[in-house]
This record gives sequence, C-alpha cells and structure tokens, in this order.
Amino acid sequence: MIFNSYTFIAFFIVVLILHNLPFSWKVKKINLLLASYIFYAAWNPPFILLLWLSTVVDFFVGRALYMQENPFRKKLLLVVSLIGNLGMLCFFKYGGFLLDNFVLAVNALGMDYHPAKPNIILPAGISFYTFTTLCYTIDMYQKKSEPVKSMLDFSLFVTFFPHLVAGPIVRPPQLVPQFETPRTATQKQMFDGLLLLSLGLFMKVVLADSMLADTADAVFNTASMLPALDAWTGVFAFSGQIFFDFAGYSTCAIGVAACLGFVLPQNFLYPYAAIGFSDFWRRWHITLSAWLRDYLYIPLGGNRHGQLRTYFSLMVTMLLGGLWHGANWTFVVWGGLHGLYLWVEKFFKDRASVAASGLSDVGPESPLPGRTGFFAYFKVRGFVFALLTFMLVNITWVFFRSSTFAKAGQLLQSMFGMAQDGTALLTSLAIIKVCVIIPAMVLAHWWMRNTRVLDVAGKLPWWLLGFLWSALVLLLIMSQQSGSSFIYFQF
Amino acid sequence: MTEQSLLKPACLMLVTVIVVVAAWEMYLRNQGHAITYDDGSELWADKRAMVYEPADKAVVFIGSSRNKYDLDINTWQNLTGTHAIQLAREGSSPMPILNDLANDPDFKGRLVVDVTEGLFFSNAPPNLEEPQKDVQYYKDRTLAQQFSFELNYLLESQLVFLDRYNFSLNAQLDALEIPSRSGVFMMPIFPMDFTQSTFERQSVMSERFMADTALQNRVKGIWAFFRKLSKEPPASGEQLEGILQTVKTATDKIKARGGEVIFVRTPSSGPFWQGEQMAFPREKYWERILTTTQCPGIHFADYPAIDHFECPEFSHLSPQDAAVFTRHLAEIMEKEKGWKFPRTSGR
Repeated sequence: MIFNSYTFIAFFIVVLILHNLPFSWKVKKINLLLASYIFYAAWNPPFILLLWLSTVVDFFVGRALYMQENPFRKKLLLVVSLIGNLGMLCFFKYGGFLLDNFVLAVNALGMDYHPAKPNIILPAGISFYTFTTLCYTIDMYQKKSEPVKSMLDFSLFVTFFPHLVAGPIVRPPQLVPQFETPRTATQKQMFDGLLLLSLGLFMKVVLADSMLADTADAVFNTASMLPALDAWTGVFAFSGQIFFDFAGYSTCAIGVAACLGFVLPQNFLYPYAAIGFSDFWRRWHITLSAWLRDYLYIPLGGNRHGQLRTYFSLMVTMLLGGLWHGANWTFVVWGGLHGLYLWVEKFFKDRASVAASGLSDVGPESPLPGRTGFFAYFKVRGFVFALLTFMLVNITWVFFRSSTFAKAGQLLQSMFGMAQDGTALLTSLAIIKVCVIIPAMVLAHWWMRNTRVLDVAGKLPWWLLGFLWSALVLLLIMSQQSGSSFIYFQF
Repeated sequence: MTEQSLLKPACLMLVTVIVVVAAWEMYLRNQGHAITYDDGSELWADKRAMVYEPADKAVVFIGSSRNKYDLDINTWQNLTGTHAIQLAREGSSPMPILNDLANDPDFKGRLVVDVTEGLFFSNAPPNLEEPQKDVQYYKDRTLAQQFSFELNYLLESQLVFLDRYNFSLNAQLDALEIPSRSGVFMMPIFPMDFTQSTFERQSVMSERFMADTALQNRVKGIWAFFRKLSKEPPASGEQLEGILQTVKTATDKIKARGGEVIFVRTPSSGPFWQGEQMAFPREKYWERILTTTQCPGIHFADYPAIDHFECPEFSHLSPQDAAVFTRHLAEIMEKEKGWKFPRTSGR
C-alpha cells in the first residue's frame, strides 16, 4: 500500500479510529501490528512470510547474543544473524546481479556459460527492514541496548507500517521504548501529523510525480544526444524528483506516526542547502547515513587509525552505500563519486584546518555576533558553496538514474556541450516547470536549513498557515495523479 | 517547536478546500461538462479481469479507438444479451492484447478484433507501448490498487472535475499551449468534447462536438499532423508476413481452446478512407488477414447498411451512428457469421 492512494486514506482512517477506541494498550499494539501486516500484504501477500522469518529469527538471535558470554558462540550467533539477514537481501536484491557478473567473468575466461535468467521479485522494503533488524542484532552483540522484552514489541518495531517499506530506518532505542507505554496523539501531535502528511503528499504527488517526473524520464530515457539545455533540465528535474519523492515519503511517514502518537527520526534536513559533502550526508537520508557510519564506517576503522585508513573506510562505506541503493554498477559509481567528493573535501579540510574549518560553519548558524558585514560575507560565500555542492551532486545523479554507463556518458557529454547535433527534446512548458521549481527548492532549502517545518508553521499567523495548507491540499486534489510508487521502494 | 496546536489553521484549510472544490465542481457542471472516467490501465485491467465470463454471456472487443467509438455498448448489450467487454486501446496496435488473450489458457471466449490497418500492421514501439503497459499493469496490480480503483470509481462517478485528461493541473497547464523551440515534438491536444469515456470504456463525442464544426476540423487537423509524422511506409514483405503469422498463431491458440475470433473493419470516411485504401489495398492487407487466419471478417464497405456513415472527423462514428452501426454489426454476426446470442439481434 502506498501513502498516495485512496486505499491508504481508508486504511489510515480505520487505524486511527481503532487506535483511539478505549482498548487496552496490548490490544492497540496488536491492532497496529495487524494493520502493518495488512499494509505490507497489500503488495504481495506471500512476502509477509519473509518479514515474519526475519522478525522471529532476529528476536531470538538478538536475545541469545545479549545473554551469551562465550565469545566464540557469540560470534557464531552474530554470523548466523548476518548470514540470515544479508543472505536474504543478497538473494532477492542482488541474485540476478551477482549471476550476471559471474557469467560475464567466466565468459571472459573463455567458458561458454549462459544460464537461464532468474525471475526474482524484489520484496518491497527488504533493504529497509533488513537494516532495521540488523542494527538490532549488532546492538545486542555489542550490548549497546537491552533486548526487547516482548515479541509483540519487537514485531511492531520491525513492522510498524509508517517506516516499514522506505524508512526512516529506526534504531531500537528510538522506537521500542515508545511501545512500552500507552500513547495516543495529543491534539497538537495530531494536527502536526496531518500537516506533515499533507506536505509529504504534496511533495510526492504534485512536485515529484506531476511536475518533474515526465521531464526526468524523457531525458533519461531518450536514445539521442541532447542540447545542453535539455540535458541539464532533465538532470535538475531528477534532482528535484528524487528529493520530493523520498523526502515526501519520509515526511508522510513521520506525519502518520505523529497522528498515532509516535515520533520517528528526521530523515531529511534540506540537503540541497548543504555546504560540502559531509554536510550533505548529514542532511540527505540521515538515518541511512547514520546507520552506515555506525555499523560500517566505524567498524572499518573510521578516523581512528590514521589518514589512509580513514580514506579507505570512507570510500568502502560510500561504495557499499551506493550498492545498497540498487543492484547495478552505476549505483556503485554514484557512491564512489560521493566518496571521491568526501576525499577531496577531507583533503582540503585537513590541509588548512583553521581556514577550512569555516567551510562547513559559514552558513547562517555561524556564531559571529555583532559583525554584520563579515557575517553577510560568509553567508554569501556559504550560499555559493552550497550551490557548488548542489551542482556537483547533480553530476552524481546522472549515474544514479541512468540504467547504463553508456547512457550516463551520453548524458554527461550532452550536459557539457560535447554532443554534436543534439536533438531538442523538452517543451517550453517542461523547461519552465523545472526553472521555477528547482531554484525555488534550492532557495527554500537555504532559507530553512537551520529550522524545521513545524517551527516555521508555528510562527506563521494561523490564517496564513491555513491558506498555505489549503493551497497544498487543493493542488494535491487538482493534480489528479494516479498513485505511482515511490522511487525508493525499489531499493 | 511551538506548543500551540494547529487546530485553527486546519479548520480554515478544511473550509477553504471544501468551498473551492465545490465552486469548481459547480462551475464545470454549469459549463455543461459531464461525468467522464479516467480510461487508464486501472480501468482497462478491471475489464480485462472479466474476459473469463462464459462465451455465451460475453464478447471481448480489442483494437484501437474506432472500436471504442463505434461500438455502442448499451445497444449491443440490449440487442444480444451479452456483456461487451471493451479492451481496445486508442492509437495502438491490438497485437499485445491479442497475444495476452491467446496466451491465457483460461480465455475461451469470443473475440472481436477491430482492424485499423495503420495501427494493426505496425510494429512501431509507440503503437505497442500503451497496450503493453495495460497488460503488464493487469498482471502486476496489487490488492491495494484494486481497492483504490473501487474507491476512485465512487468519486469519479459523482464529480465532474475528476477528469484527469481535461481538468488536472497538468492538463490545465498543457491547455496554455506555450510554443516550444522548433523541432521539439509537441503532442497535439484533442478538444475535450471529442472524448467522454464511460465506465464501460466506450468513447463518446459530446453534443457540443457534434454541433461545432470548428472542433471537428481541429481533430481533422490532428489526424493530418499524425499522417505527416508517420514516415514509415506500410508494412510489406517479411514484416507483413511476420505480423500475419503472429496474428495466425494467436487466433489458432484461441480457436484451439474453443474460442471464436472475428475481424471487423470499422468505418472511416472522406480523405481518411481514401488514404487508407491507397496505403493499405484491401487484397494485400484485409483479405490476407482472413485467408491467413481462416477467421471470418466483416468489412464495413461490403454491407450497404453500414457503408454510408460520414464520420464527423473522418475516423470515428458519431454516437447516433454508432448505435446504428452496432445494431447492424450484431445482425450480420448472427445472420451471416453464425454467432449465436442469448437474445436475437434481428428486428
């Protein structure tokens, strides 16, 4: 079930009613769990078995990992959990990719091997719930938190429908304690949640699907070389589409959870206002970045074992982070490009630590009271760096969205004016939409970079917020976009 | 974060949304617009799921837009007592849908295939994409999508403004017809009165369209635009043989399961019909379908009762003519082609 569907609206109304009836807390949790299974089963009912398997195995293995004192047995249990979780992910998500690469390798060695193409369907959200359960078992191994006491709470932690299929990726301490005490939304939480749900749907349905998706699809699907204007417009359109699509989903998820009285972590903080790439990854898909930092980058050595090891850990983390997004080498290159950007940024920061320490602190939050001119100078410089970051991020999106390297190369050539006789593709209307939405998005990110939507909403006069909210909902209704899937479901 | 609840702005939002939507709906009704349905893959899939009805209770129609305009479903159902399941997709080849039905072992029913030669004998990807998308959607649709479709029907059947092709945000922006750079392909916009879709997937021209020759000429202009766009010569040689063999394989499969297939050449008129006769000589195309597949066929030019229609825009029948055409079509099928219906179609 997707948030931008009539089915979800009907489903959510029923869940809200049930959650606010005078049942015991245990009954309400069972309702939420059953609702979450229905939410998931609405895609493909058999895949619910995988979800159960993952839940049951990790509940018991997690508890055993916490209790086990014998180091060998403890490691063995961890390996079992890793093989179970990652094995499932590898089979469903990377099975075809691994086979393709294996076939390519053995054929390159002279063997004539052509197996039948496997027909593997990717279960929705497998990457997300695998990471959710993995972090639990690793935390248990490291005794970072207490094991979850009840199977019901653990099942709900894994399956809670707002975050189940596309995050935010939650950690046990963020969500499990919320299941331990009865909760329903306060009036404030309810309306905050509804505002976030409206905003998230507006981002997804109006901006991503209705305004930008066709332009991005046209540019990335064409077989022809393009004039630079068309190529850049398509890439900008995709940068907007992917943000509005995914941040829209996260905003909906946080809003839906708030309506039920729960708090989910932020997943996006105006990433296109990032100054530099470490800042970008603190703002884009925050829960995945934090997961990769805590469960991959730091175990690989982080920055505690010298420069070279740091660079190595950084690159491996970004390459695997890229691969997490999809079973294609283009995603690996996307991650590698981000790794490279982070290397360059780190290199310059390390070389001129004093001067460059301002690089990520030159935004509006820079603590320079009483020096307005100086502050304004850094503010402008910060915006220029943010724009530079945004432009470089756009280059990476070319690899992220292109299905092949040939396509990515062709588009990059078009973007940098190297295409001879490019065929004009986009209509004036498509270009106008992108030229209005993308600069507005970047400016809005810059304006909002140190605040939150709900803070801004709370400060607006109630009538102004009411009219702005009306505009969002009216545009949502008027767009009449039929429910299309969120891009991140495929990851 | 402020501690104040957003109750007041939420109430204002609710009132504003209700007032604006109601005003928009009333304005459109005042302008004479009627209920029309989004004829996307969701509606197609809903009809596709009905093809398993018993052969004596239902007839499946595939093809392109002519089938959708020319078959008057009410007339057909009243005359024959059989359910008309409309699976044609405008501007497309019927081949993906024919293959889908042929490869479905559970489909054993009766099938009417509309032949618009320019589309039927084309393997050009743009003519295959939409029906392929429909078939794929039908195979992949989830329970949630089916439930959303039912809820959407409840709303669409009551609200005029829920007309994605004409009143959605993008449709309103497209209607501005902002000129583009030279060489950029711009899909022409059909006048909204040209197509109203019923829930049974029948396309109907509105009364305003029938009364306004300027609107009819605009559609004639769009056909001329598409004709100029088409650079490919009509299929011939190996390509033609390949298409014919694909059709034969598909019809053989259906017939082997006890199903029946009939081809129908629906009417066109004026320069459109003349152009079609020149590009697709009957003996080289229409007759070849019948001889290759050994299936019966009904060509409108062979029957005085249906050979005289003037299509308002050269290619599709008016609602009134569609009813007449449908009545005669059912009669010809029953009297000449041996199709039996629960209710007799003859007068």
